[in-house]
Amino acid sequence: MTKHHLPATPSTVHWGYFSKTLEPVLTIKSGDSVTVETITHHANDDYDRMIAGDTEAEAIFLWTKDAKTMRRRGAGPTEGPFTHGSGEGVGVHLLTGPIAVEGAEPGDILEVRILDTAPRPSANPAYAGRFFGSNPAACWGFQYNDLIEEPKPREVVTIYELDMTAPASVQAVYSYRWTPQTDPDGIVHPTIDYPGVRVDHTTITRNDSVLSGIKVPARLHFGTMGLAPAEAEFVSTIPPNYTGGNMDDWRIAKGARMYYPVAVAGGLFSCGDAHASQGDSELSGTAIEISLNGEFQFILHKKADLPGTVLEGLTHPLLETDEVWSVYGFSVANYLSELGPDHQTEILKRGSLDTAMRDAFRKLRRFLMTVHGLSEDEAISLMSVAADFAVTQVVDANWGVTGSIRKAIFAGR
Amino acid sequence: MNAQPFTSESYSEDARQPAWQDVLGGFGLTSTPLRTSHSSHATALSRSTTRGIRLGRLAAGAQVLSTSGHRGELPLLVLPLEASAMLRTARDQQIVPAGQIVVLPRPGDWQLHFQRELRALVLAVPAEAFRGRKIAPLTLAEARALPPEGLAAVLAATVCGAAEEIDRLSEPEWEAVAQGSAELLLTLFTELAAARPDTSASKAALLQRIYRAIEQNLGNEHLAPADIAQAEGISERYLQKLFEATGENFSQYVRERRLQRAWHDLSSPGEAAVPISEIAYRHGFSDSAHFSRLFRERFGMPPREFRRREAGMQSLAPAASGQRGWPQEALARLRAVQAKLEAAERRAGAEPPTPASGTEAEAPAEHYLAVDAERVHWGYFSRLLKPVLEIASGDIVTVETLTQHASDDPERMILGDPGAESVFRWTPTAKGVDRRGAGPLDASIYGRGAGEGFGVHICTGPIAVRGAQPGDVLEVRILDIAPRRSRSPLHQGRVFGSSVAAWWGYHYSEFLSDPKPRETVTIYEIAADAPEPYAQALYSYRWEPQTDPSGVRHELYDYPGVPVRTGSVSRSTPVLAGIRIPLRPHFGVIAVAPREAELVDSVPPAYFGGNLDNWRLGKGAAVFLPVSVPGALLSIGDPHASQGDGELGGTAIECSMTGTFRVVLHKKADLAGSVLADLSYPLIETPEEWVLTGFSHPNYLAEFGAHGQSEVYAKSSLDLAMRDAFRKVRRFLMTTQGLSEDEAIALMSAAVDFGITQVVDGNWGVHAILRKRLFGTGV
Repeated sequence: MTKHHLPATPSTVHWGYFSKTLEPVLTIKSGDSVTVETITHHANDDYDRMIAGDTEAEAIFLWTKDAKTMRRRGAGPTEGPFTHGSGEGVGVHLLTGPIAVEGAEPGDILEVRILDTAPRPSANPAYAGRFFGSNPAACWGFQYNDLIEEPKPREVVTIYELDMTAPASVQAVYSYRWTPQTDPDGIVHPTIDYPGVRVDHTTITRNDSVLSGIKVPARLHFGTMGLAPAEAEFVSTIPPNYTGGNMDDWRIAKGARMYYPVAVAGGLFSCGDAHASQGDSELSGTAIEISLNGEFQFILHKKADLPGTVLEGLTHPLLETDEVWSVYGFSVANYLSELGPDHQTEILKRGSLDTAMRDAFRKLRRFLMTVHGLSEDEAISLMSVAADFAVTQVVDANWGVTGSIRKAIFAGR
Repeated sequence: MNAQPFTSESYSEDARQPAWQDVLGGFGLTSTPLRTSHSSHATALSRSTTRGIRLGRLAAGAQVLSTSGHRGELPLLVLPLEASAMLRTARDQQIVPAGQIVVLPRPGDWQLHFQRELRALVLAVPAEAFRGRKIAPLTLAEARALPPEGLAAVLAATVCGAAEEIDRLSEPEWEAVAQGSAELLLTLFTELAAARPDTSASKAALLQRIYRAIEQNLGNEHLAPADIAQAEGISERYLQKLFEATGENFSQYVRERRLQRAWHDLSSPGEAAVPISEIAYRHGFSDSAHFSRLFRERFGMPPREFRRREAGMQSLAPAASGQRGWPQEALARLRAVQAKLEAAERRAGAEPPTPASGTEAEAPAEHYLAVDAERVHWGYFSRLLKPVLEIASGDIVTVETLTQHASDDPERMILGDPGAESVFRWTPTAKGVDRRGAGPLDASIYGRGAGEGFGVHICTGPIAVRGAQPGDVLEVRILDIAPRRSRSPLHQGRVFGSSVAAWWGYHYSEFLSDPKPRETVTIYEIAADAPEPYAQALYSYRWEPQTDPSGVRHELYDYPGVPVRTGSVSRSTPVLAGIRIPLRPHFGVIAVAPREAELVDSVPPAYFGGNLDNWRLGKGAAVFLPVSVPGALLSIGDPHASQGDGELGGTAIECSMTGTFRVVLHKKADLAGSVLADLSYPLIETPEEWVLTGFSHPNYLAEFGAHGQSEVYAKSSLDLAMRDAFRKVRRFLMTTQGLSEDEAIALMSAAVDFGITQVVDGNWGVHAILRKRLFGTGV
């Protein structure tokens, strides 16, 4: 077993999309572990705290009239004229990777164990060693068309500081209302419609008394971890899908194991979109977005070895923690194949907990029947009396419901 | 634009009136409440078109509507639902029966009185709705109610149909339906105005007919004034004169109308596949270059670019599922006979319980409420029930409860238990508890049995709390829960429960294996004395048609308490072998009596509590319920040994239990500034958390009125329940924690967990969990 380190640099990140066409930035063997650096795509909400002085972050976010390090942001068109910018922000997450696993083939399952997570400190001497994150209540949030105070609608960014003193917690520093921002190419962003636009702090008004006295317990996790899908060359990072991606489940944290179906040779694992904390539903559209390093171990389970294990018949992401197994239901289980050529826009209309609950029910029933050998009637009775269904997120186009079953229930089998 | 839901639940008490006036203002209406009511509940579902046609379904307390102005618009259309309204004008007053339309001029001197409650459809059509097409200068002298015949009947039916499907129509569908309704209203209005016997009115009506004729002939590229004049039987010169009087000429008007129609088609998603040249042609432009030039001159950009920008969105709503409870038709019938039926079986009057004399200051008393046929009500809540016990605030009361599923294995769960035997007693000639459910006593709908099983839970109570008044909050704190042990000779001392994967379960529509569909009962034994208590399945059986002692055959599990006869089903074992389910003892039902109806189905939970089915409501937890009727009338039942979030199969492990509760009354005057301020829904408190309960329809009885007990099943949705939970958390954080809206939203995203309570009780539930430690000291 080899230990690798994968820094976040302009040559190891991709922005806003998954793609089977990307060259791996690292190739590992099953059993290897990798420490992956990730940088939040919301770092430019407060450049001073989250980018300034951080050489790699500065390089990745570099964008002037003449130069833009990471040109493509999203799975949209890369030829102008642009409405928002190259890639059109169809997908927003800054991901590190992809990492290829030797021998991974479609039909296999990749297990990703999260061994540890650690926040990336500010490199600005004024804030040296401190940790900051950002939480925009954005136009894609659940609240956006249902606000009661004026002005309606509005976007509000809250900047948080993470305190790692046990028990780790997060506290708001200040907030501001989004104002139209003009990017270096001259495109105006009236709303948060393109990632990595540096917010000009002379255009905003800081509100320093926000959530005073309220400490949010930290739940360090990666919102987006997943493999490259097979269906399309460039796939938005926003809707989660059968190969994982933007799951936004805070339980995918240190100590957890995630299992993903491999769709393309090598698997092509990428991760990013780290969160200092998030509630079930991620209501406002984002969590407390922060830069984290993650230490992962990768174990490849070959297709032929799956029968008789918990991975038998697995066609979707599965979470295992010390206490539970969770299946992930989506509004559309595999939107890339179900929604046809317009899937990127079609999925935006499909977000629904009702369909996600349906999917979670089916997946959990299958899991209990295949893996635990229950009859359909046993599976349904057990789900009614002992499985817990929860809202994962209602903001990532393909909404999520998890179905969880406690492992201890099966101890006697 | 998508359908916009409004609910007063989003707002704190003092902000509700202004918010409601905003909603009414969108229709050009304003209102004054008719009498002060402790409930300011109001909901609306409305939808607008790009041209400002707005249709809405309003539901609120008694009030008087009048116009807020909007000169030059078409008259408003209001259609009262379910109950009549009173139209008052300067000259007289008349009744507008439910289902008929009234047209109301804007501005105008009229008032529309909704005496009991406001429940109506409103259609507001601005002049711009006709896309520049002229509206002849007609006026409607006064508000009029129209008898349901001819065009008025068609319009009423159209508006009702549109309102029914308002949130299910795609964008192009909705635009077409709304535009159609507006056209009908315009025609009706034209006829009404022309009916007046003066020349200016008949001239205006003629002009209106000419406009319509032009509209029908826009596609004719050679359309000339002579064609129209001839069709209307007037001279071309007179036609031109009519136009001059409006300050326009014929050809300008025709060109403007053609461009407007093309504009509309280009912006319509339904027409996205039609070539631009074809759209030009259909509106009388044979030369598409010429059309492009005119279009750009008129709208500032070429048609191609315009269309790209307008490429719109549409949304699809999921279809409704099968349903329990009252069928719609039966509810309609019920309204006619309800008064008579209920009078016959009423156990007590509607008077509040009389306060006991001289007991106000005494120490908390302890009460014991044993269960038997006289102390339960089965399948319904009612403000008319006579209390079986009266207690004071602070008292401790131990309440025995029975699961309605004891009859799934009578030998284990009923036999030898005098309380259970009394409740479940059922012979060919007598039933311990006859009424089971809120349906008719004579079972005239389905013939299942008295009450029709519209509601299934055996509830112990009601318990009256001295001094409780509407507006107060009742705290019900669970001090202890103990299982009820079998008294059957063969199973003495053991504890059993039942879980039914029933026809109302979430899974029922999609079985994998045969036979499809089916109902399965699993009997569990509860190891209550183990160091870590658990439940384990004993056996299961498929439901087979059961004939009850009255001789009614039940193909499905459609009536509670039907004793399953040994030998009539075939038991299978082992089932769920080796699986131990940790216990989560709790009460599925804790309710105070709702105010809206006399008999309320116990299945759908709502603002009064009821069938919450949230396992967090166990020992050490409390639920705070808004009191609706004097004495509060607390009922408890539906005990569960364990349940998962979702209650997927339709039931939990249903197991008779006895709970000890401390009941505390919080008077309305003391609520301000506390965590209970403004509470209008069940709020659960556990040692670590606040759990807020969201529902598909937070107050379905008020929202749907007489149809509530049926509609709530037809419109189950997690999406709506999530919306409600979001609004409740926002309000809770703003009202009780003093956060701004932006702070509340930020905190919800970062730290509040939303979970699925149940998807089987008609009114589906999403709860939100707020950890007290977020606030440091706890709330």
